[in-house]
Amino acid sequence: MTTPMVSSNLLGAIGGVPRPDVDVVVDARDVNKWFGRLHVLKDVCIQVKRQETVVVIGPSGSGKTTLIRCINHLEKIQGGRIFVNGHLIGYREAGDKKKLVEDKEKNIAAQRQEIGMVFQRFNLFPHMTAIENIIEAPIHVRGMSHDEAMVMGRALLERVGLAVKENVYPNQLSGGQQQRIAIARALAMKPALMLFDEPTSALDPEMIGEVLEVMKELAREGMTMIVVSHEMGFAREVANRVVMMDDGVVVEEGTPDQVFSSPIQERTKAFLSKIL
Amino acid sequence: MSALRNRGIRPALLVGCLFLLALSVAGCSSGKAQSFNFKPDIFLQDLNPTSQGVLGALYVTIVISVVAQALGVALGVLAALGKMARILPFRVIANVYIWFFRGTPLLVQLVFFYFGFGAAHIWGWDDITIFGFFIPGALQAAMVILGVNEGAYMAEIIRAGILAVDPGQTEAAKSLGMTYRLTMTRIVLPQAARVIIPPLGNEFNNMLKTTSLIFVLGVVETYNHYVILQGLNYRPFEAYAACALWFLLLTTIWGFIQSRIELRFARGTATGSSAAQGPGWRARIFGGGPQVDEIGALGGH
Repeated sequence: MTTPMVSSNLLGAIGGVPRPDVDVVVDARDVNKWFGRLHVLKDVCIQVKRQETVVVIGPSGSGKTTLIRCINHLEKIQGGRIFVNGHLIGYREAGDKKKLVEDKEKNIAAQRQEIGMVFQRFNLFPHMTAIENIIEAPIHVRGMSHDEAMVMGRALLERVGLAVKENVYPNQLSGGQQQRIAIARALAMKPALMLFDEPTSALDPEMIGEVLEVMKELAREGMTMIVVSHEMGFAREVANRVVMMDDGVVVEEGTPDQVFSSPIQERTKAFLSKIL
Repeated sequence: MSALRNRGIRPALLVGCLFLLALSVAGCSSGKAQSFNFKPDIFLQDLNPTSQGVLGALYVTIVISVVAQALGVALGVLAALGKMARILPFRVIANVYIWFFRGTPLLVQLVFFYFGFGAAHIWGWDDITIFGFFIPGALQAAMVILGVNEGAYMAEIIRAGILAVDPGQTEAAKSLGMTYRLTMTRIVLPQAARVIIPPLGNEFNNMLKTTSLIFVLGVVETYNHYVILQGLNYRPFEAYAACALWFLLLTTIWGFIQSRIELRFARGTATGSSAAQGPGWRARIFGGGPQVDEIGALGGH
């Protein structure tokens, strides 16, 4: 598998322009979450500024995946607040005590349009071709015309180096190709924020490079990204910040250099010694 | 059934053997003076599709089956979604509906909702004319009651189909900003259809035969046509043999159509190349191979 030709601007393909009006895209404050009795997120605070790429690392079960799933409300939270572009995600505050009440399904769906997500297992729609996967949400959620969506979809396929796969079903694509289509599908909604949930963990080693290449391109173009990943090379190259989580707590955060080369916390040192 | 199939005995062969056995037993026990009383000319006359009323009766059987099955699928989708709803009253309504219609005999439902409701002045089943089609009350009742009954069974099949879709699909749809309705209609149900189609085909096979019960409402469909016919010519063997053959033809044709539909729905799926094709129409009609019931077992009842 060759590295895709990501020659020109990924965001240019969809005419996405970074919105300068809000500087902080993600603002999570004191987020608490339980799965039954298991306390998976404990007073987690995290901020992501516009055009920033944040890589979240940590051992399995540390809550890093749960955290980014909370950001687009695929998981409920029991305490704290998560704001994206200044909007409270998934809930509204009711009464004088500002208790959290889950928002209407329609409002949550509208909020999710602004947040792209890429999954570990790709989750492409198997009954649709590559291009149909990409244009599905722009047409049915955004109300874009079919012709307009096709133009945008083809441009996106071109940018992830899969223009020739336009009419191919996902089961005929390699893992790396599927994940690139999945990224294109998320970008087609012109999100303000992209969440990546271990995007290369389910891939064969020779396919990891092609997916990371697309993500690097995206980061360079100024997309705001939160990436749960153990790809240290990727983190060093493009991350503005690395966040280390363990046992539902943010243990340490800083530039890739600080965290990888001279970690302060013992738990970070122990974790890095195992994966490096 | 599966035990028999595993030993390689084909159902059609088995039925054939049993039939021959019954004939020979009947021949021996009544061997005094009475010979086998069968008049081929009357049988052929009964079977003849051009003889009066046969095609009309078949038409009624097919129309009622199609309408009732369509209604059953629609109600089945609603009941399946209701059963999985987060809102308690929806779950209760769906569960009570399924509980009642699966828990009482169809024959009782037919007479209760037609004669019972009529007599109690709840619903009179008046004859109506829609778009120039005259639809007698009994025909309406037949289609509605069969359809509502079928919906209770379809609900379980459709629920199994929806549950068979990877939860990651729902999450992907949600993360793209799709509402529940869009997620269901565009992403989940089309994928569930692949699992639902084979047992749905079996349900329709059943429906074609089950329509014979509506003779109690006085609707002249295929079975009732032959009941009336044997009452006129006093030849029940010939009449009912012809009746059985007509039903066999209907279900055979359907088996052929069904295998074509299943092939078409297998496209673009992970198992599309071989596994989802299921048994061919020959295997479906004549049996053979343990794979026949695998998918059907999902919604078996």
